[in-house]
Amino acid sequence: MAIGPFDESAKERLSALADGEVDGVDAASLCTGWAADETVRRDWQAWHLIGDVLRSEDLASDPRRDRQLCAAVRARLQHEPVVLAPGAVAASHRGRWAVGGAIAAGLVLAVGTFTVLRPGEDAPVLAQGDRPAVVPVVVATAPAAEQPAVEEPVVADMRMIRDAQLDRYLTAHKQFAGTSALGVPSAFLRSATLDTAPR
Amino acid sequence: MSAADADAVLVERAKTGDRTAFEMLVVKYQRRIERLIGRMVRDVDLVPDIAQETFIRAYRALPQFRGESAFYTWLYRIAVNTAKKTLMEMKRDPIVTEAALAGRDDEDDQGRPDREPSDAATPDAVLASKQIAAAVNFAVEALSEELRQAITLREIEGLSYEEIAALMNCPIGTVRSRIFRAREAIAARLRPLLDTREGDRW
Repeated sequence: MAIGPFDESAKERLSALADGEVDGVDAASLCTGWAADETVRRDWQAWHLIGDVLRSEDLASDPRRDRQLCAAVRARLQHEPVVLAPGAVAASHRGRWAVGGAIAAGLVLAVGTFTVLRPGEDAPVLAQGDRPAVVPVVVATAPAAEQPAVEEPVVADMRMIRDAQLDRYLTAHKQFAGTSALGVPSAFLRSATLDTAPR
Repeated sequence: MSAADADAVLVERAKTGDRTAFEMLVVKYQRRIERLIGRMVRDVDLVPDIAQETFIRAYRALPQFRGESAFYTWLYRIAVNTAKKTLMEMKRDPIVTEAALAGRDDEDDQGRPDREPSDAATPDAVLASKQIAAAVNFAVEALSEELRQAITLREIEGLSYEEIAALMNCPIGTVRSRIFRAREAIAARLRPLLDTREGDRW
């Protein structure tokens, strides 16, 4: 991904992004620049600090201390699975996010297919506990792999899907590998064979 | 575009898996979140931990954020719940409570047991905060009238670029440029305070 220098024009657009006044396409390159350039991050921090102080002086804080919190959050985020909201993936950012979208779509397809193929068993519950409303597609990535190759998460065994119930579900599914592609229970197939035998 | 959805672009990016966009929101809101938590939790040592936990929980819950409220309103609720949960756990866990009380004892020695949490930061941090507030105010006063008006309408009044353009009777592009130039001018005054110590890269 080619990253141009973060010039004055880009900084002005970043300033507009701080106010929510740029579109999604522009935001993509600005986010990339932000991640790549520490001076850009410091500008961003300074601008928000300025806004906070203008609104309320008691929000003035030691920026070094602020950065410690950011660094801690960033370190923990590296170990968090990438959370993809399916609706958001479908809605926007097809170009640059084609890779992430493709991974997400592939997973949705895989999970959906397994669900269809197992009519006799309860559907896997992906969303648990305090987040039931949306089914998050959770892709675990290696901590350091910010931009994994397309096939990397896909070949990562079944461990990439972190839901334990789903793991059990997928393991159980392997028992039916020999049955019809439509997932018809094998007992039914056997009786059909018996029906045709007397002819 | 109202202030309520000023975060919409970054939130949408974060929801598509862009951690950077989420970090940018962390940088934006960390001070407000820490102040909020500081008002709920007396032990100031816990504030950064709870703030950190708040942001991680928010990241995990992002798929449920539908944009029906402002992002900060949503984040605020997560911070309140995280702080409450921590306080509950401290009541259940005597070890944590002891550690917290030990910290409190040190503060008692200074004779300020009930002071505001922000005052409990290190003297260096308090000084830095005061210097920053003074530098920002000084820098805003030094701005030209049009830059000061633009940044004030945006940051204090929370107006959109379109609204500011209408008020200042100029194109939106000019508003964007004035706000940027105002920020740069103020940030230039802050830079010596932002960069005084090496080794705190992030």
